Amino acid sequence: MKMMMGSSFPEEVLEHVFSFIERDKDRNAISTVCQSWYEIERWSRRRVFVGNCYAVSPAILIKRFPDVRCLELKGKPHFADFNLVPEGWGAYVAPWIAAASSAYPWLEEIRLKRMVISDDTLELISKSFKNFKVLVLSSCEGFSTEGLAAIAANCRNLRELDLRESEVEDLNQSSGHWLSHFPDNYTSLVSLNIACLNSEVNFTALERLVGRCPNLRNLRLNRAVPLDKLAILLRRAPQLVELGTGEASDLRPDVFSNLLGAFSGCKELKSLSGFWEVAPGYLPGVYPICPRLTSLNLSYATTIQSSDLIKLVSQCQNLQKLWVLDYIEDLGLEVLAASCKDLRELRVFPSEPYGVEPNVLLTEQGLVSVSEGCPKLHSVLYFCRQMSNDALRTIARNRPNMTRFRLCIIEPRTPDYRTLQSLDGGFGAIVEHCKDLRRLSLSGLLTDRVFEYIGTYGKKLEMLSVAFAGDSDLGLHHVLSGCENLRKLEIRDCPFGDKALLANAAKLETMRSLWMSSCSVSFGACKLLGQKMPMLNVEVIDERGPPDSRPESCPVEKLYVYRTVSGPRFDMPGFVWTKDEDSALGLS
Amino acid sequence: MFWKALKKSLYHPNKVKSLNKGHLLFALSLPCFYWRCKVQFLINLHCPCQMSEGAMAVVKPEMKSYIWLQTADGSIQQVEEEVAMFCPMICREVIQTGTGSSKNYAISLPQRVNPAILGLILDYCRFHQVPGRSNKERKTFDEKFIRMDTKRLCELTSAADSLQLKPLVDLTSRALARIIEGKTPEEIRETFHLPDDLTEEEKLEPLRNITDDPRIRLLNRLYARKRKELKEREKLKNVEVEEERVDDRSVDDLLSFINGGDGDTKGTRTNKNKKKNRRRKDQSKDSCLNNVNGNHNEEMHDLHSACHDGEGNNGLLASASTSSKLQDSAAVTFSPKLEFDDGDMDDDLDPAMKEELDREVEDFARRLNSVWPERMQELFQGRKLVPISLNGNSSMSRYTSLDQR
Repeated sequence: MKMMMGSSFPEEVLEHVFSFIERDKDRNAISTVCQSWYEIERWSRRRVFVGNCYAVSPAILIKRFPDVRCLELKGKPHFADFNLVPEGWGAYVAPWIAAASSAYPWLEEIRLKRMVISDDTLELISKSFKNFKVLVLSSCEGFSTEGLAAIAANCRNLRELDLRESEVEDLNQSSGHWLSHFPDNYTSLVSLNIACLNSEVNFTALERLVGRCPNLRNLRLNRAVPLDKLAILLRRAPQLVELGTGEASDLRPDVFSNLLGAFSGCKELKSLSGFWEVAPGYLPGVYPICPRLTSLNLSYATTIQSSDLIKLVSQCQNLQKLWVLDYIEDLGLEVLAASCKDLRELRVFPSEPYGVEPNVLLTEQGLVSVSEGCPKLHSVLYFCRQMSNDALRTIARNRPNMTRFRLCIIEPRTPDYRTLQSLDGGFGAIVEHCKDLRRLSLSGLLTDRVFEYIGTYGKKLEMLSVAFAGDSDLGLHHVLSGCENLRKLEIRDCPFGDKALLANAAKLETMRSLWMSSCSVSFGACKLLGQKMPMLNVEVIDERGPPDSRPESCPVEKLYVYRTVSGPRFDMPGFVWTKDEDSALGLS
Repeated sequence: MFWKALKKSLYHPNKVKSLNKGHLLFALSLPCFYWRCKVQFLINLHCPCQMSEGAMAVVKPEMKSYIWLQTADGSIQQVEEEVAMFCPMICREVIQTGTGSSKNYAISLPQRVNPAILGLILDYCRFHQVPGRSNKERKTFDEKFIRMDTKRLCELTSAADSLQLKPLVDLTSRALARIIEGKTPEEIRETFHLPDDLTEEEKLEPLRNITDDPRIRLLNRLYARKRKELKEREKLKNVEVEEERVDDRSVDDLLSFINGGDGDTKGTRTNKNKKKNRRRKDQSKDSCLNNVNGNHNEEMHDLHSACHDGEGNNGLLASASTSSKLQDSAAVTFSPKLEFDDGDMDDDLDPAMKEELDREVEDFARRLNSVWPERMQELFQGRKLVPISLNGNSSMSRYTSLDQR
């Protein structure tokens, strides 16, 4: 067959073609087509995403991709958000930055999620990459405002500094002076998210910064910025597209009218968040911009109750994304369903998750209403206290376009409140009807049956979260054997043991990771798995001491299995046990 | 000032003011090829001192002029001047070497430009060199223009690149990118007739999504047993165990088990139950050991030889996983009927417990068997494979009533 793209097709042209191919999946595909494409692709790859920082080493990455400009890394498993991963487990970014500082001098963007980053590393970043533009630290920790000061001082081309939900120490209580480290001639800021900072920020420095950066689009302030100061900022930056407010507890008429005026000047504002301790009387101040809003995050607005929420939401006809507390109640969700026909994503968080009795009138009905009224709704996270199979079936039939469905019935193993049956059928309907479902979180009373449904229908499912569900290994087996596209599986408090795990050992190499905590997996099985599958790191996280000191059948506390091409890691803390811990067999 | 003069001149060539060499340099730095060519054309027009004799004949704006082009196959054609000059490469040739004015002085085009492709390119130039068109018109033309088979598209991209016609290179490159997007490597290879010349190691493709390879599980069981044997022997200090030969022996064991035949198997746990010979009578399915014997031999041979490569464990597994690539995903049929000689092992369970465990094993096996599609049986040539490693542990772990987040 004549070569179509043979020697006559020059490499530069092929590289040019590749420059229009950006999705990771496509880049991966073209890199494994043939020798020449592999080479061209690796030299022209500018953007790399590493879903698990231990799946590959910096050295391997650099060797394969010599000229990366945008690096994205994820560290700890998702259940770290629920404090299930002990402190010191790992996910240190330092080795990556150390390697990148010499290998990628033109690095422009670093995005990290659930990783540990120190001030020294931040300083290294600020000094190593002359064209550094974007720093996003999502749920990260290990650094303080000193590190931020280094970034501010040295990154002349910085465009984005986004600290979403990270834990930041404020060491010298210097009232946020790190902001003053941005030089006077620095004007390129486009996005600043400091909402997670607990300490105060030097307002003068902030005001001057906002004032001299004409391209600022996204500004998320922290609690410490009061509303009266917010008005000043808004007047300096009327071009803002996304805004996160600070605190606004006491209602003052002068502040209110000032704010109203400032808001009306922001013609581009499309996204709002913040609203800590907001006095409801301030809400009419945002009414003028409601019709333009596409994204609204009220999940911290603990002071806004149902009636105010309804008034607010009913004016946001163009809303696409809403994060709200369950104060919105069923009634509010009905209004939402009637008013916001463009809604794509809904998250309803619990206001009192540890309370025994419901404190709000939020039931399954609210979600059903939204599923009926909002044809574009495809992403849901819903905390509630009761659910029924009927409701789930209705939701499934209403919204076959659902891609992310996370239902959290607060009390574990809650049955269908009407029939007292398990919720197998309801979730079964979800996976059956929603053929594009990529992410699913289960809750309520569930038997092995639901996993059979998931294994049968969940062909596009990529991430599954399970807690307090199932009866036996058969459940786990259904999922591992049936879900062809499964990438991440996280399980807690389920009666899954060794059998399904070992029977599906090969499957684990096709996934990013598996997390099992408070299940019935023995250390013996973990060791076996680690020994048989060299491409997997099998980490037993157990703070009770060496697993050998307990009987073989004693289940491990936590198990984290992930595939890797770089072998066992060298930074494991004392409470992580692997196959190499076993000295009795004399195997090295 | 220059820009105004230039614009004027485009529509009224005769009215233009004089342009000098500085303007020539400026023109060459213009980003837009269209304008650049036009400017060069005009510079030709108004700076006769920079051109050679032969080129003089070209520059007669009032009359229709032609440029002569020769493709690699030797054929020569004449093309309207403004169309040809739209290609920077041709433009440069005309200015710098003065060729193209006549048949004898035809501009030699790069090898990648054959007559058919040249035709396409000229169609493109002919449309876009006309100044008055709107962006929408151009976009519509481009969308229609780009519709052709992949082979031709590749040739066009390559040719456009050799003529330095950047807008067309971008257009065709984007079209190729769209063709590539969403395809698997195999599909891409097929579309573009590319060789599959990467080694397995170089291919960092995701591992095939196989449910399980029964032979891996089989071997897992045997390894576990062997290890336990070793452990016990060490404790008793009876036999010297040579690590290096462990793997060999397990394969030999495997062969002898398969070929020899009766007995029980044990799973991976010390407290596992043993399956007795009597269970064979209970089975309703037809997994005869004969089948197993006959069909296993080939594979066992592979595995046997693989075992001698490199380190025992890894080699074995590696070969197993490579050959497993030959199989498609999904199910495995297995039954508890494959039994092994288990005489060495201790059996410390009381009969009643064992009875119960046996029942549970059978039940589990039946449930799992019903899940697997029939066609996997064909794939494994009718063999029923692999004992399940089960123990009777169906007791639930402690439930902590932690709040679910």
